[in-house]
Amino acid sequence: MAELKVNENKSMNRGKKSLQWLWSEYSVVIAFVIIFIVAALMNDRFLYIQNQMNILMQVSTIGIIALGMTVVMLSGGIDLSVGSVLAMVGVFSVLALNASGSIFIGILTALAVGAITGVLNGLLVAKGKIASFIATLGMMAGARSIALFYADGGSVSGEVDGLTAIANTELFGIVDLPIIIFLLLTVVVYLLMQKTRFGRYVYALGSNEKAALLSAIRVDRIKIGVYTLCSLLVGVAAIIETSRLNSISSSSSGNLYELDAIAAVIIGGTRMTGGKGRVIGTFFGVLLLGVLNNMMNLMNISPHLQGLVKGLIIIVAVFFQKRD
Amino acid sequence: MEHETILEMIGVKKSFHNNEVLHGVDLVLNKGEIHALLGENGAGKSTLMNILGGVHQPDNGQIKITGQTVLMGNPRISQAHGVSFIHQELNVVTDLTVYENMFLGSELRTKIGFLDEKEMCRQTREVLSKLGVHIDPKTYVRDLETSYKQMIEIAKALLSNSKIIIMDEPTTSLTDNEVERLFTIMRSLKQSGVSIIYISHKLKEIQAVCDRYTVLRDGNLVGTGNMKDTDLSAITQLMVGKSVSTDAFYNKATKGEPVLTVKNLTSEGLFKDVNFSLSKGEVLGFTGLAGDGRTELFESIFGFRKKYGGVIEVSGKPVKINHPKQALRAGIGLVPKNRKENAIIKDLSVIENMSLTSMGHFEKNGFISSKTEQKRFQEYKEQLNIKVHDPKVTIDSLSGGNQQKVVIAKWLEVNGDIIIFDNPTQGIDVGAKNEIYQHIMHLAEMGKAIIILSSEAPEILRVCDRVNIMFHGEITGKFTRDELTEEKIMEYATGSKREAKNIG
Repeated sequence: MAELKVNENKSMNRGKKSLQWLWSEYSVVIAFVIIFIVAALMNDRFLYIQNQMNILMQVSTIGIIALGMTVVMLSGGIDLSVGSVLAMVGVFSVLALNASGSIFIGILTALAVGAITGVLNGLLVAKGKIASFIATLGMMAGARSIALFYADGGSVSGEVDGLTAIANTELFGIVDLPIIIFLLLTVVVYLLMQKTRFGRYVYALGSNEKAALLSAIRVDRIKIGVYTLCSLLVGVAAIIETSRLNSISSSSSGNLYELDAIAAVIIGGTRMTGGKGRVIGTFFGVLLLGVLNNMMNLMNISPHLQGLVKGLIIIVAVFFQKRD
Repeated sequence: MEHETILEMIGVKKSFHNNEVLHGVDLVLNKGEIHALLGENGAGKSTLMNILGGVHQPDNGQIKITGQTVLMGNPRISQAHGVSFIHQELNVVTDLTVYENMFLGSELRTKIGFLDEKEMCRQTREVLSKLGVHIDPKTYVRDLETSYKQMIEIAKALLSNSKIIIMDEPTTSLTDNEVERLFTIMRSLKQSGVSIIYISHKLKEIQAVCDRYTVLRDGNLVGTGNMKDTDLSAITQLMVGKSVSTDAFYNKATKGEPVLTVKNLTSEGLFKDVNFSLSKGEVLGFTGLAGDGRTELFESIFGFRKKYGGVIEVSGKPVKINHPKQALRAGIGLVPKNRKENAIIKDLSVIENMSLTSMGHFEKNGFISSKTEQKRFQEYKEQLNIKVHDPKVTIDSLSGGNQQKVVIAKWLEVNGDIIIFDNPTQGIDVGAKNEIYQHIMHLAEMGKAIIILSSEAPEILRVCDRVNIMFHGEITGKFTRDELTEEKIMEYATGSKREAKNIG
């Protein structure tokens, strides 16, 4: 006789269910809170307001890039070129700044070069029908090379006073401008994705491209828009990066930024294949990586081992996320 | 006639998330019979079969095979007991060859451990010829037609010496003659002592091929018996719990002026020299066998395909349509076939799927007003009788019929003059089917021009005023409904007859 076990699960009450919902939707927030508490317990300097601001300052560049990466990944694509484009934009921006003597021209150049690169990425993916991984891999190599060429393989420094003010101005005596820009852009991208038709179309496209097209959505234009937005945000990040030290290195600036940005997006719960994910998730993913870095610095963990810890956290975070 | 019982499922219960979907169901299968398992979507057929296939574990009840109680712990155990499950979505790997698919997971090897290609090909050829199919075992599956892919699944079941084969809606993607061939094979399997559990929504097919039936409704067994002791309307009644009409629908709209005229539309290799016109308030059907080009024709008219020649006129004016957006502007809507791949966005909510094509209606200062969306959806929910508790859930949690209604709502919101329905009742149960037909009729009465593409002749005859029959990308016959019978449709659809002149 194989009378099968009666499997009653009726004890699951509402509290447990809502907890499950919280976990499946916002596991990154919970993970962030846990790591935050651990960090606070490990080192009492962690909670100093100066340290907290330091963390935010450090993540602002990657954070802004990760916002763009979120949009690209929600559309079902990926942008590997962000790090190289950051260097290229920085180089052009400083060269334009030095040539014109105007910070305004420098910023404008950065945004323009960013946007043009994005349009190019978008055209390759949307019209050229090249897989985003390949198209942006090409751009990654190309943009880095252009940066190296125009900077003669070294760094270029700003010769105009006031450029450093962008990254080093403190509002209310404590909050650096880049933090404000990051938070502001988070809100903007959040609204764009949740409250506008562009955002809706991006989700639709990432979930089912054919159905989106058959729903009379201009899929090509949305794709171009997605990559343009991403590279434009990279332009903003490049301005901050350049301003921080008043210079940009054509060889080392932006190195591996694409991996940090993708990691933040994935930890934030966005699906690799698109259609599902949240800007808020990415925001917390970025903070989580920032807190982790900071904690390891405070604990004097060898910088050579920090990569290992980061890698483990990424894998663990994704492992515990609800998968489908 | 022997009545040797091969399989008994007794008092099977199963819950998902505290929701009991099977309330103690019995199923008895005799050796060498074709047994129809019937019921509407959500009646519990798939769950019951998944339990038999070892995919799910029952909470209560037992399974006996030839009198022995067995525990189907996982699909492998189930297969070892001689149960093969042919799923609705075919599980063939299209980038492998026929014989590689046949032996996938149980490859034969030579003594030194290499794949024994020769032997596998030989056995494949043998089994396939038993089924009356003559294809080279080294053909790539991607180059085969759907019916052959189905044959491969069946052959696979035979190869593993299955005693029980479960077929879940095997005919949804088959044309009529392919279905006929499948039935011949099923009958010969039956002769050789194999038992088949056959799941389908198409009652005519069931009548044609099945010996006995079991009907489920809402997780309960509501009827079982011999096919010859009953009739279709009695079975339908069992399935839905009330009688369902199979009467034809006639729309009372007076035909207006032509809104869509197509002249000499041609696309290399897909369709050739297509002419037709459609008036307001008219329901025009397009039918034919698989590969007749009708889907491609209307995907072109909708702007999904680009390279075609000829003229499309909407309300007398020629239009150039190279993108679905342009079709939308011209007032053409398309409810595509294969809902899952082409029509629904499964990660978006029910409401968001409804509003996707007409976002402009829901915007205020550039931002989407979810209040307006909800209000609008509420109207469609009532108008179309969409059954959903919380419209904010993702659309894939709805049943097929309700998903289809949401897709229809999407195009109603656009409010174009012409709506194309491609296979509108695919995978939808009997009750919901009639509802969909009623909504289509209602649209025609509102003055919309309707095009219905379907390979099911009864469906075409039930709803269309006029019917165009296609064969190999050409229209071979144009008729009004009164002139047509299913047999006549078949004659023109197989190309054995064609009209002398192509009337406009």
